[in-house]
Amino acid sequence: MTDLIPHTALGGTTPRQLRLRDLTMTERPDLALAWLARRQGAPLPAPFGLELPGPGGWHQGGDHAAFWTGPDQWMIEGPGRASEDFALAVAKAAPGASVSDQTDAWVAVDITATSGVAGIEALLPRLVNLDPRRLAPGSATRTGFEHLSVFIIRRAADHLTVLGMRSAAGSLWHGLERAARVQLALSA
Amino acid sequence: MTRLTGGLIDRATTLNFRFNGRDYTGHPGDTLASALMAQGVRLMGRSFKYHRPRGVLTAGSEEPNALVELGRGARREPNTRATVTELFEGLEANSQNHVGPLSFDLMAVNDLAAPFFAAGFYYKTFMWPRAFWEKLYEPAIRRAAGLGRLSGLPDPDAYDKGFLHCDLLVIGGGAAGLAAAVTAARSGAQVILADEDFRLGGRLLAESDMLDDAPATAWVAALEAEFASLPNLRILRRTTVFGTFDHGIFGAVERVADHLPQPGDKPRQTLWRITARRSLLAAGATERHIPFRNNDRPGILLAGAMRAYANRWAASAAGRVAIFTNNDDGHRTALDLAAKGVDIAAVIDSRPEARAQGSYPLLAGAVVSDSRGRLSLTRIAVTRNGQTTWIETGALGVSGGWNPNVHLASHHRGRPVWDEGRLAFFPGTPLPPGMAVIGAAAGQGSTAAALASGAQGAQQALAELGISAALPRLPAAEDRHTPPAPLWHVPGKGRAWVDFQNDVTVKDIALAHQENMRPVEHLKRWTTLGMATDQGKTANVTALAVMAELTGATIPETGTTIFRPPYSGVSLGVLGGGDTGPDFRPRRLTPTHPWAEAQGAVFVEVGQWMRAQYFPRAGETTWRETVDREVRATRAGVGLCDVTTLGKVEVQGRDAGAFLDRLYANPMASLKVGMVRYGLMLREDGHAFDDGTCARLADDHYIVTTTTAQAGPVFRHMEFARQCLWPDLDVQIVSTTDAWAQISVAGPNARRLLERVVDGFDLSNDAFPFMACAALTVCGGLRARLFRISFSGELAYEIAVPARYGAALMARLIEQGADLGATPYGTEALGVMRIEKGHPAGNELNGQTTAQMLGMGRMVSARKDAIGTVLSRREGLTTEPRVLVGLQPVDVTAPVTAGSHLFAEGAEQRTETDLGWISSACHSPHVGSAIGLGFLADGAARIGQIVVAANPLQGQQVRLRVVSPHFIDPEGERLRD
Repeated sequence: MTDLIPHTALGGTTPRQLRLRDLTMTERPDLALAWLARRQGAPLPAPFGLELPGPGGWHQGGDHAAFWTGPDQWMIEGPGRASEDFALAVAKAAPGASVSDQTDAWVAVDITATSGVAGIEALLPRLVNLDPRRLAPGSATRTGFEHLSVFIIRRAADHLTVLGMRSAAGSLWHGLERAARVQLALSA
Repeated sequence: MTRLTGGLIDRATTLNFRFNGRDYTGHPGDTLASALMAQGVRLMGRSFKYHRPRGVLTAGSEEPNALVELGRGARREPNTRATVTELFEGLEANSQNHVGPLSFDLMAVNDLAAPFFAAGFYYKTFMWPRAFWEKLYEPAIRRAAGLGRLSGLPDPDAYDKGFLHCDLLVIGGGAAGLAAAVTAARSGAQVILADEDFRLGGRLLAESDMLDDAPATAWVAALEAEFASLPNLRILRRTTVFGTFDHGIFGAVERVADHLPQPGDKPRQTLWRITARRSLLAAGATERHIPFRNNDRPGILLAGAMRAYANRWAASAAGRVAIFTNNDDGHRTALDLAAKGVDIAAVIDSRPEARAQGSYPLLAGAVVSDSRGRLSLTRIAVTRNGQTTWIETGALGVSGGWNPNVHLASHHRGRPVWDEGRLAFFPGTPLPPGMAVIGAAAGQGSTAAALASGAQGAQQALAELGISAALPRLPAAEDRHTPPAPLWHVPGKGRAWVDFQNDVTVKDIALAHQENMRPVEHLKRWTTLGMATDQGKTANVTALAVMAELTGATIPETGTTIFRPPYSGVSLGVLGGGDTGPDFRPRRLTPTHPWAEAQGAVFVEVGQWMRAQYFPRAGETTWRETVDREVRATRAGVGLCDVTTLGKVEVQGRDAGAFLDRLYANPMASLKVGMVRYGLMLREDGHAFDDGTCARLADDHYIVTTTTAQAGPVFRHMEFARQCLWPDLDVQIVSTTDAWAQISVAGPNARRLLERVVDGFDLSNDAFPFMACAALTVCGGLRARLFRISFSGELAYEIAVPARYGAALMARLIEQGADLGATPYGTEALGVMRIEKGHPAGNELNGQTTAQMLGMGRMVSARKDAIGTVLSRREGLTTEPRVLVGLQPVDVTAPVTAGSHLFAEGAEQRTETDLGWISSACHSPHVGSAIGLGFLADGAARIGQIVVAANPLQGQQVRLRVVSPHFIDPEGERLRD
């Protein structure tokens, strides 16, 4: 185990969290990510027994989850496994597939609302150009946010995760916080 | 005082506001215009060109006259329409476009010179001398023709943006829009109702007619109560849908805080992009006026507006008013005002057959032909059967019929269609996809017709989406039809205004006709008609009719009027979306950023990245001093630099090698596992695209690096090749630029330093030679990748660890290398060292250079094909004589300036004698002078010769000696050591 002390994408040594009344934003440095691509002619991989979703889908199975990122490509999620070589674990679980470590390629921010679906759906129009009806729980889509390319995952009715490029974590957080503050100011 | 009884204002609350430095009061529900009118203020501004006194003309967003500067300090906003400015406590407004007090504008002298200011005046007058335009004429004209003043200060307000999606967007909340919204919302469909007013109801609020024997406001209130219980209906008040864009997307601005004394934590406005599967345009209609001599005096307004002020705002422009009309709607105004106790001086109706509809004096078959009153109307001239009489009146309402608001329906170039029976333009086909038009905008102007068309329109629109909607019970409502008689203007002497905001008169149109500016597009540009901020909402159709009369053509033959977004003015701030300064665009930070910040690094923007440029130390007085130290320390000991920004792409799959062979000009399939190769990619046209390295971690696993600038374009290029050019290859690619922190460890002590952090990895030259790569662990088990590559010409490595450990690894390397002279260096030192080594970078890979020019012609493999290979051999490229050389000043104190062009000594300096250019330059601590890299014709043959670098921008002529581009270690011994 290395004695080097890691920084989160937002530059701290602990994850950043912000509670704004109904909404909570939480940086998720514990979330391990690995890119998984199916090779030509290979059967559909099933790492950790996961059923890999189709376009626009996010699927959770046991301790892991996966979302579709392109034809024959997925991101495999391992919550709590960021400090280990998650890509290696995925490669072992999906033999014959192409796998790459993406854990530190992204900053992941969870957004939850204590008011549930209402709080999230009130915020969504200020985040992304997606119809909340289409971004149902179990969806994940790559889209634009504040001149950044992001993935947005609707894990549950009251739970979003936004993934943006790690190097732009500060800009992503700024945009999310601004949207949340405006939304709350207007719903007050 | 001319405040009447009734109205939709809250008299229990008084609001204080200021206009032109004087205190006034109003009530919630008032607009600035209604509150001023109720207090007897009629003069509200000066006209654009002639500085004529002007008062309010309309009661809505079409207002051309009552434009004011709102707010003060940084919040001052010019050209705000008083007619749609919601009154709030503490509002401050000032009239604009005058010199001296509003009542005595010194610029009004322009009005006396009016004969000189006819249409085309500027085009004819300010033609020459040409140089005078920019320096003299334009500034003077702009000062005279003011449209208010900008504060010149940074905008203090926050702006907001968002995206909405719906099945049906209803644009306009009047009778038709409300009927459509309730029909659609009850069906369960997702509905958005947007209205520019702060109160729903549209024209219903301006009329005295009952709905089901109750005031219309009661029906609206009942609907609003029901709307509150419908979560599928979103009501956007104070929201102007300003544009119809492609794919069912509409732009809308919601004025969130404009009506609040203090915005607090609210944004000023929100820009909504609304994606609607279907839309209903219920934008209503705009009344038109009838030009007559001196028809622009304060106190002359549209009859429908006069009625709106009386009914909605309990305000009248005067205690005694007259009406001038060519249709029955004018009589309605007379009746409503009379009912409010206003004295009706006369109704002047151009139709000889007109009949009075109440007890007021009617002059049928008559027209208003002139007016008097210096700052406000005092009397009007009425001409009947050639006889003119003067009538005393404080105000005049003019009604020339109604123009459907077709604007949003024509944003996709759908041309409105003229209806000769109803004397109006109606939305033409094709309408924007998914749009239908309802209510007065579609000619269904009576309340009953508007309600029915709204409900039916919603039902039809939803049926197209497979949603069934039941028609609601609609209230019984008035069903008048008031087609106007064709009276477009009152002929006669003097000036009769058509476009109030841009001061265009009937005479100007006649002059345009006389000067053959007859097509409507010429008319517009010659006279500036319809080109003001109101886009001629009250002028265009009238102008067409006047031109038609002059040419003897019909109105459809004369032309039509078409509109572009925005429907009404939109602030640039809200389009910009709000973020300014450091948040204006995304910033990318390197993994070692927090560490570099703590070291006091100076940062530089490199694309979106913020990179450490250099690390000043105490006592260093110039950046050069710092950079020279960093270079020397690296070449003498070991230097450390964060190079994470270079693009990294993982290439996997059975055909990864074959894929890279086709992408790179040089071979990559033959690269051995555990080795790195320098690579050059060409564009399809044979020019150099990008350079970098390619490392092979396994048979089916490569890592490609790119330059920082081209990381995105190279990845896109690779993805295009993979998906579109060679889908048969088994290749998968993913960007890992951000995933790995990469640190360059360069200098003679690099190996000794790295040996202190790797976990038992053999770094000896035999075990890990130049251009080797490996996956390993460092610092007690941390997974890492090590590449022995050099950009500086020194013994050098690049070490990559997961990005979260980048800052800690950098700190550890500095700490462990203290006795080895470990020194952080930034992009400046990086640049100096690569120029000293003769490595090309962005300045050399500028899109105009080839492998041959870069001295890499032999890298383009003849034994395989790759993108750009064939075209790199075309004649124009192979005969290109300019190649990369090094340049050194003969006088060691002389500068070398990038961008300078190279000439033979003594040659005349012309394009034809140009031998090349300097692409990169720096001060070299190693050489002890400035040095440069450049492209020079026959460069190899000129080594040792002198050329002249010409920099005409700074008057520099510098003699340079042509040398090898490798200023340091040309044999490459250091990096192989």
